[in-house]
Amino acid sequence: MISLSQTNEASITRFRRKLWAAMVLVVFAITILALYLTQHNATAIAARDLQQNFQTELSGLHKLEEFRQAALGERCRALAEKPRIHAALEDNALDLLYPSAEAELRDLMEVGLSSAEQGAGSLHARFYRFLDSSGAVLFPPNPKDVGELSPAVEAQLTLKQLPETQQIGYIREKTDGVEEIVDEVVAAPIFSTETGNVISALVVGFKPFELGGKKAGAGMKSGIWVNGELHLLSFSKPLRASLDSEIAKAVASSLATQGNFTVAINGAPQLLFYRRLNPDSLFPPAYEVCVYPLVDSMVQLHRLRWQIGGAGMLLLLGGFVASHFVAIRFAIPVQKLALDSEKNRAKRRRAEMALVSTRKKLRRSTRYSADASHQLKSPVTVLRAGLEGLLTRDDFKAEVYEELSALLHQTHRLTGVIEDLLLLARMDAGHLQLESQPVNLSQLIEDWLDDLGALPDSPEVKIEKKFPLDLYVAGEGQYTSLIVQNLLENARKYNRPDGLIRVNARKNGSEIVLTIGNTGPPIARHAQAHIFDRFHRGGTATNISGHGLGLNLARDLARLHGGALYLICSENDWTEFELRLVGSSPAANVPAQDA
Amino acid sequence: MDACRIVLLNLVAVFSCTSALADAVVEGRVELPKSHAAPVVAQRYEIVAHGGVLSTQPPLAVVYLDGSFPKSRSPLTKQVAQKDLAFVPPLLPVQLGTRVEFPNLDDTYHSIFSYSPAKRFDLGRYRPEERPIPSELFDTAGLVTLRCDIHEHMRGLILVLNTPYFVVTSPDGHFRLSGLPSGHYVLKAWINSKTTRQQPVELKSGATAHVDFP
Repeated sequence: MISLSQTNEASITRFRRKLWAAMVLVVFAITILALYLTQHNATAIAARDLQQNFQTELSGLHKLEEFRQAALGERCRALAEKPRIHAALEDNALDLLYPSAEAELRDLMEVGLSSAEQGAGSLHARFYRFLDSSGAVLFPPNPKDVGELSPAVEAQLTLKQLPETQQIGYIREKTDGVEEIVDEVVAAPIFSTETGNVISALVVGFKPFELGGKKAGAGMKSGIWVNGELHLLSFSKPLRASLDSEIAKAVASSLATQGNFTVAINGAPQLLFYRRLNPDSLFPPAYEVCVYPLVDSMVQLHRLRWQIGGAGMLLLLGGFVASHFVAIRFAIPVQKLALDSEKNRAKRRRAEMALVSTRKKLRRSTRYSADASHQLKSPVTVLRAGLEGLLTRDDFKAEVYEELSALLHQTHRLTGVIEDLLLLARMDAGHLQLESQPVNLSQLIEDWLDDLGALPDSPEVKIEKKFPLDLYVAGEGQYTSLIVQNLLENARKYNRPDGLIRVNARKNGSEIVLTIGNTGPPIARHAQAHIFDRFHRGGTATNISGHGLGLNLARDLARLHGGALYLICSENDWTEFELRLVGSSPAANVPAQDA
Repeated sequence: MDACRIVLLNLVAVFSCTSALADAVVEGRVELPKSHAAPVVAQRYEIVAHGGVLSTQPPLAVVYLDGSFPKSRSPLTKQVAQKDLAFVPPLLPVQLGTRVEFPNLDDTYHSIFSYSPAKRFDLGRYRPEERPIPSELFDTAGLVTLRCDIHEHMRGLILVLNTPYFVVTSPDGHFRLSGLPSGHYVLKAWINSKTTRQQPVELKSGATAHVDFP
């Protein structure tokens, strides 16, 4: 069992940590994003809810105020149509204007009312004035009867022109120098019954509707912002001054007749809502200002934030734990992979080592074979020369000559073996190079069949041959010949008396297929797998000459030629080999093949 | 029809009082402004205002002889009644110093007043059976607009003239003034509050002068 090395263990731990860190980072980022969005959303929803509540609360009050304004407007319109007032204006009796109006407007004025009635009657007028055709105030002969006003306040009633429709305005009035009040002013146009033109306007001043009052929600305060100053007595002067500039900014920056923004008043956040009270009026723009404390909603929002934050922290913690486990889980296949690769590496190392040693062994054995062959060649040559020298002498007995010629035959065999070994050694070393060219295989077979009869110690066999005369293969003649020689010699050697050798050759596509069969005892079944091994002799009778290199050499040469050699069958008195070689045309210039 | 009858009565009164002193006659026609209102069967005159101009509808004119004449010694009394929430007649020419009574012939209160420079007065609210009939003495020449404080649409005109010789034209503009003193005069035709035309006239006793106001 291969165990992970220390470095691998460390790197997997490192990988696991990095994976965990990356996942934590991702989880953290996602959680923060989700938290941000949730909180943003929650804040927006809370702000919207707050505004809706606020608007609902206000709209009820605004309805009341609208009714009141409609009632006031209707009253003023009815007054403006009084015949005496028309008569005074149309018949140029301005001195009679105020005295006539006094009778008509007596019930409207709150003069003479008790203070309780005054408080109750916001439909009662505090003063009234008429405007002349240029929009300037017609001064009353007796101001006491029409509500006394300081010249400055009276000047605020002047309009640039007479209005075609009813106008609502707000004017500031300082009653005793310190306390100031705001009056709501309704200017009703007076149309001449003779010309139909506006000839005057009746301006009636009322106490403004106390919007906040006792009915409004807890803590809501309301006032009127006119001429750039806020009238909200419960606020201190510096506070009002600071709000003035804020409202002025908000009003100047938007064309809408209403809006809201958040301000800090005495450190507490408040929602300030403003609404134009007299849109399209000839009087200076006046805004109703409502201040609504946000403390409760801020507390709620704060709590909501904490809840979201807590949930987020839990989520984050869960995410961290989950990432830890996921990192471990993900590291398992990596660990397995590392283990596998470790095993593979060890295997490969072993295989490489085996390959190196095999290569060394092979090289050693090749060198050994080559050395041995070379070392053997010279003594054999010397031996053969000696024997041949002895044979030329005539002073030996006849049986000595026989012995000498047998010995000479053995030296020839020895030379054959040595040459085969040398060739094999060269092939093993990869030094054999083929000079490929067209080889006439048919001719080659014919030549070797002729030579077969000259072989000594061979049984008489019948030869059957069947092949066209012009079969050409790509190869080197010397080695192709060696393959054919080996196969035919084997067929002759391992034959039985009165046996048969059958040689067939044919063209099969680009290949040339040569089969050589012979009668004789078959190769034992267990030996068939080893007949191409070096120095294997198929368990045949030892009286048959051979050294166990022929088939091996033939197969290796066939492979070197890009072909193959197989044992087709060996049973029931019949053994057959098949040689496949690359076909060629007689004149083809076959490229050289390297071993 | 009441309106026409009262106009005729007035004409008769003027004629009877001056015929003894003089006998010159002037007659002619005043080209009255075209009436834009669709004709109605029950012709009813009222005072209307168009662009700040008061006139009767359908149009009528008052033709009078301008000049200095002695004041009437006997007190003159005329009437402008309130009938069916309108002044009858709607346009009444009177000689300076005439007392005009305002009888209420309706079943409701009226409160007649005027803020006109020629005569400011205020009769206050009164019932139909109010006696004596509320009246005012008109002692300044000029046009007096009558209004009712209760019925804001009601309008009436009294033209106070410094002459005893005047007449309201017929609806087609014809007029005839008789019993006039002879001499050179200016004949004037009051058409509406903003328009008074005039023509010189030579009156001879027993003769009839013809003057048209185009």
